[in-house]
Amino acid sequence: MTEDHKKLRLELIIESPALRRAEDVLLDCGVTGWTVIPAMAGFGGKTRWSRGTDISESTDMVVVICIGDAEVLEPALERLHKMLDRRIGVLNVSEVRVLRPGLF
Amino acid sequence: MNALSTLLSPVVLFFALGLFAAILRSPMSVPQSFAKGLAIYLMMAIGLKGGVEMSKTALDGQVFAVFGAATLLSFGLPFVAYAALRITSGLSKVDAAATAGHYGSISIVTFVAAIEALRMAGVPSSGYLVAVAAVMETPAIISALWLAMRGNKANSDEDSHHDRGELAREVLLNASIVVLLGALVIGAIAGEDGFERLSPFFKAPFQGVLCLFMLDMGLNAGRGLRRGWRKLGVAPIAFGLYMPLIGASIGALCGVLIGIGPGDLALLMVLSASASYIAVPAAMRLALPESDPSVYLTLSLGVTFPFNIAIGIPLYIAVASLISG
Repeated sequence: MTEDHKKLRLELIIESPALRRAEDVLLDCGVTGWTVIPAMAGFGGKTRWSRGTDISESTDMVVVICIGDAEVLEPALERLHKMLDRRIGVLNVSEVRVLRPGLF
Repeated sequence: MNALSTLLSPVVLFFALGLFAAILRSPMSVPQSFAKGLAIYLMMAIGLKGGVEMSKTALDGQVFAVFGAATLLSFGLPFVAYAALRITSGLSKVDAAATAGHYGSISIVTFVAAIEALRMAGVPSSGYLVAVAAVMETPAIISALWLAMRGNKANSDEDSHHDRGELAREVLLNASIVVLLGALVIGAIAGEDGFERLSPFFKAPFQGVLCLFMLDMGLNAGRGLRRGWRKLGVAPIAFGLYMPLIGASIGALCGVLIGIGPGDLALLMVLSASASYIAVPAAMRLALPESDPSVYLTLSLGVTFPFNIAIGIPLYIAVASLISG
């Protein structure tokens, strides 16, 4: 039976031009690791979108996944939420169990 | 060469193939990273050729006058576009400003297609126009931001402050500017002999690569149009058709006042008539994230780009030959 280590999992879907800004927020808040994956397609704001239809890549979306302790992620969550005031994006947080707590 | 032969050239026909395939919902696609590689190849090729041409010609007062006019056109055209959009379309201030920025900047692929059309028509043009294209990329972004921000309290939050650095990098060091100007300088240094060694890669396959890229552009334009036209309405779509003609007319006026030849005049008209879909959308997502990308991308890529490829380029060449020939 594995030991129960509870952490927060933050998931941010954001336009690729804003990725660097989001990563800087995470870094500022002391987050030690995250993963960025490309979003393939979706629907929102009455518009269907998909990756690779805009040569500037300015409307491509990426997903940032970050797992950590609440005391580190809560301030990051607040700042990322503020960042989304003017931007296209979705932010959610959930509680997860991790198997190797030393990594987070 | 007449307008019909331009319309029936493989470059335009491949664009039309991509456009109709996308409108008919074909699943065909060109991988994004491959298309990006093709864009870099085309910019390198025209930058190198432009640089070689520049190495053979002296930079005189007329050349500097063209650079000055191009800079003013890029700064000024967004104001014309903004006024037209606000009066006719009902777009919000931010969307109108972001869209206007696209119409002051340039489409490098339209420019490449125009150079090819001129070459096929046997109308000579100057190499320095490649540098003029690079110069016209950026000032329009500044005008668009001014139009969007004027009357608003300066947004000095942490997010905006951070984005200014990113924006400066995007505006001044985007791929078009770096590759075009870099290749231009390399071409000027290498000269005719240096370019000759690269010609198996940059000269012979150029037309084929352009056809491949145009197929992808057609797919992009068709998908953008299919998704965006209902949202836009008649007035903005009409803007995407008449604004290139306004831009080309103002560009023609500047060119005639300076006294440039028909090839250069046609290219200045093309630059003034085209709308960006590479550098400006990326800058707008950073600087005006509240603007709606489906408005300006549909207009610049789905409406103005096909118009310029199919009708605009032959029209501008014909007009330039008429008034400057």
